[in-house]
Amino acid sequence: MGFINSLFGGKRERSSDVARERLLTVLVHDRVKLTPDLLEQLKAELSAVIAKYVPAVEPGEIEVSLLRGESNDHIKADIPLRRTT
Amino acid sequence: MSRVITITSGKGGVGKTTTTANLGTALAIQGAKVAVVDADIGLRNLDVVMGLENRIVYDLVDVVEGRCRLRQALIKDKHFPDLCLLPAAQTRDKDAVSPDDMIALANQLRAEFDYVIFDSPAGIEAGFRNAIAGADEVLIVTTPEVSAVRDADRIIGLVEAFEKGHPRLILNRLKPRMVNRGEMMSVEDVLQILAIDLIGVVPDDEMIVTATNRGEVAVLDRGSLAGRAFNDIARRMKGEQVPFMVLEEQQGMLDRFFGMFGRRPRSSER
Repeated sequence: MGFINSLFGGKRERSSDVARERLLTVLVHDRVKLTPDLLEQLKAELSAVIAKYVPAVEPGEIEVSLLRGESNDHIKADIPLRRTT
Repeated sequence: MSRVITITSGKGGVGKTTTTANLGTALAIQGAKVAVVDADIGLRNLDVVMGLENRIVYDLVDVVEGRCRLRQALIKDKHFPDLCLLPAAQTRDKDAVSPDDMIALANQLRAEFDYVIFDSPAGIEAGFRNAIAGADEVLIVTTPEVSAVRDADRIIGLVEAFEKGHPRLILNRLKPRMVNRGEMMSVEDVLQILAIDLIGVVPDDEMIVTATNRGEVAVLDRGSLAGRAFNDIARRMKGEQVPFMVLEEQQGMLDRFFGMFGRRPRSSER
């Protein structure tokens, strides 16, 4: 795609911007020190807590990610609920 | 009031030793009494960078272990009698000294000099911890590359964890033309990522290589842009307000100017 884009005059992303974005992402992970093990533990405990209040939670479908924000970084948890009729 | 300053970086090869030699010399030119200390035990290098390798008799470990007095180990610079080098030991390892030894050494040097500059080894282990143990303040050297900036971020966290205050940043080997093309992170990019105060930007300069080949430092060469940048940093260390060189525009104009004659400025033309 990049090749085709460049053929048709599409602008290639500047490598300095790529470097900055990659660094900012990697540093969020470096700074939080959340190992894969701990992340799994966090997901399990999170689903247990939520299941106490909302029964329709699928523990395997929870997604936890680290995000960079403007002034703060975030832990984002996406917790899908089963649809009940 | 004497100040003890450690130059560190995390990543190796970003210019800590060159920075130490140039800042030490610049402060001496400006009239201060300066000691530069090679804290990279086992990988001694500050001596060759300053062209003092033939004068070493005793080293840092000899002082710490009491085999000689501090004065006997200090080597006077070739140009400035008020600039002294305390070389690292080459045949020992970093375990030969402790952080307490380094604090005692820093305090001994403080009594004799206005500025004591420790050149830290790369890494985050014992050698680095020794190098910052006696420091009042820390300067971090990095280059505008992902690996160096990532390591700098880690080091900044450690320096703050060791309660050495807020370190300041020296951005080394910036290539203004690459920044202009969007092919190298800019000063602003790096500052946004690391979120620390900047004390100086040093442009990439081939004269650093040629000066080091001869055991000289770039600050003694008026034609060297990097040398001028180091002189400015030394003045900022003393608390002077020195405007930052406008590298990107300046380089562009110089290029265009010399481009008309089909050549680039050289040191012999200063």
